[in-house]
Amino acid sequence: MAGLSISSVTKRFGDTEVLKGVTLDVADAEFVSLVGPSGCGKSTLLRIIAGLEDPTSGDIAIDGKGVTGTRAADRNLSMVFQSYALYPHLTVAENIAVPLRMRSLTATQRLPLIGPFLPGAKDQRAEIATAVQKAAEMLEIGTLLDRKPGQLSGGQRQRVALGRALVRDPAAFLLDEPLSNLDAKLRVQTRAEIAQLHRRLNATFIYVTHDQVEAMTMSDRIAVMMGGEILQCDAPSVIYEDPSDIRVAEFIGSPKINILPVELSNAELTLSGRVLGRVTESTQAGVFQLGLRPEALKLTQAEPMMAGNVAHMENLGSEVYAQVALADQTARVTLRAAPAERHKLQLGAQVGLGFDLKDGLIFDVDGKRQRRLEVAVTHAREVA
Amino acid sequence: MAAIDAPAAARAPREVNRQARTAWGLATPALALMFLILLVPVVVAGVLSFTNYSLGNSGFDWVGFKNYDRLFSRSTYEKMFVATFTYVAVVVPVSVALGLGAALLVNSLGRIGDVYKTIYFLPVMATLLAMAIVWEFMLHPTIGVINQTLELSCGTFLEVIPFLGNGCADGFPLWLGDRDYAIWVLCFIGIWQGFGFNMVLYLAGLTAVHRELYHAAEMDGAKSAWERFRLVTWPALGPTTVFVVTISCIRAFQVFDTVEAFWPQGGGPNKSTYVMMFAIFEKGVQQNLIGIGSAITMLFLVFVMFLTLIQRWLVERKVHY
Repeated sequence: MAGLSISSVTKRFGDTEVLKGVTLDVADAEFVSLVGPSGCGKSTLLRIIAGLEDPTSGDIAIDGKGVTGTRAADRNLSMVFQSYALYPHLTVAENIAVPLRMRSLTATQRLPLIGPFLPGAKDQRAEIATAVQKAAEMLEIGTLLDRKPGQLSGGQRQRVALGRALVRDPAAFLLDEPLSNLDAKLRVQTRAEIAQLHRRLNATFIYVTHDQVEAMTMSDRIAVMMGGEILQCDAPSVIYEDPSDIRVAEFIGSPKINILPVELSNAELTLSGRVLGRVTESTQAGVFQLGLRPEALKLTQAEPMMAGNVAHMENLGSEVYAQVALADQTARVTLRAAPAERHKLQLGAQVGLGFDLKDGLIFDVDGKRQRRLEVAVTHAREVA
Repeated sequence: MAAIDAPAAARAPREVNRQARTAWGLATPALALMFLILLVPVVVAGVLSFTNYSLGNSGFDWVGFKNYDRLFSRSTYEKMFVATFTYVAVVVPVSVALGLGAALLVNSLGRIGDVYKTIYFLPVMATLLAMAIVWEFMLHPTIGVINQTLELSCGTFLEVIPFLGNGCADGFPLWLGDRDYAIWVLCFIGIWQGFGFNMVLYLAGLTAVHRELYHAAEMDGAKSAWERFRLVTWPALGPTTVFVVTISCIRAFQVFDTVEAFWPQGGGPNKSTYVMMFAIFEKGVQQNLIGIGSAITMLFLVFVMFLTLIQRWLVERKVHY
């Protein structure tokens, strides 16, 4: 097991720049997710780490040793592919044994017919069989060992692919959207199992996904990628509560964060004419964007900060999401409410919305987080 | 319920019968044609192989297994079997291996691969009869390019090679006239003509190999091209290989035009290239011995059937995962 470091890696395919200088350090035994919309370069980055693709510039180091020029087979990494990439002509046991056979048996010992009778081959083969059995038991696929991949369900194939990755002791595990071919129920179950596996093996995991829920639930840290860059790499709670870029705030969180335009002039922060707070320090005037998570909005009758009509409601049982079309804007905001408040959210009903500015995230027009402004506004409120 | 069920139950078998009749009616033309143009000729040939019938004769005698007995006792037919099986045993493995090799090489190239593909496929598209005449010129013992090229080596250091040394001293082979060379020349032309076709079939098979499997093999530690070939390519090409081998075998058994073009009078020097198809043509058509011609045809059919059955068995048991 080992840590990984990626320093200013770029990748070009012809004129297209897929990665624009990515730097990321992964500690030993850490679970890092690379998450982003499709085409953001996350899979390319994983393949560069694996050695299946060469970076245009930049370096990769495993456990402090540079491996940029080293071929994939010599990097001692394991990879689980999106399509699982199981060898269709081999049984489950043979599939799991391949990485061990390739590494611990010589070319002649692998020969069919005469291979097993060569000196040393018998012990090696016994060792491999034990390791395969152990991996299969860990993944509860011991009863499937004699089957071919074609006879397995998607979930079982996925386990075999995991088994093939963990049968040897790699420096790190690379997983490329391993759950995307499973149905929703199995995905939730396997998600938990992979997280448990990570704790049990205490190994370094790099996990590529476009699904924010997978990233949020499994990772120690999430690297949000967009347009070939890592926008932010932090713990899931930090990514959600304290994003430093509006694109991160919009990508993580479901339903999406509400973004409202606010204006700062004469040391007053206003939302469509309504004063939200005052700034004591002199801060540059201008237009900003206020991000409010659906749970930050509250239904209120007294002094609502926004008012509008309920345009759509989704009842999930434990909570209710309502889309409110604001009276003075074209935008809709999403609000999370408790089931007890459901009766107030009939379609078309007039509602007032309030929020605490402390729960709001302020970004400038370019999408950069304005933490100083937030502090200044909140501070001013407290003083007042 | 019972009132509704009873007529429905009565109607059901009648409906089924009607559908079955329509189905048979629709299948009849195809079945009739199949019998008339495929099965009846086979049966007729089978029947004729037990007679001494000749075209134009008003009648024939039943001769029992005499025709078959001749096939397995006369030395001419022994030479026929030797020539046919030598040809099949050489041409099939070599043209399959060359086809696979060419396909792998062409597949690894970019756009220039298309040029190679076209070049290798040219002999397949060309008429073998016309090509055979060109080969005949090239292989001519005195004025042919091949022997003239070989003669260029005379007087140089290349003479240390026994074949060239002997050739310079005693004259180069009569290729088509020498019973030691004739069958190998025939095999060479068969391979030259056939491997491009196998290459195209293998190229089609290669497109079905999942690219991610190669990456998985690399991650699993398969470092050499040979290991990746063994682990990914060859198993994936299993169904293609069975098909290619079967087709090549059938084509090899059917070799005829080259023999007819080179040796129209009787199957090469000392009958060394007297292959089955040529024997059928010579006996059944040229000499009007329909009985013996039919017997060879039946034997030919048995070989091809046998190959096809092996293919079916292999396809179902081994190569589909």
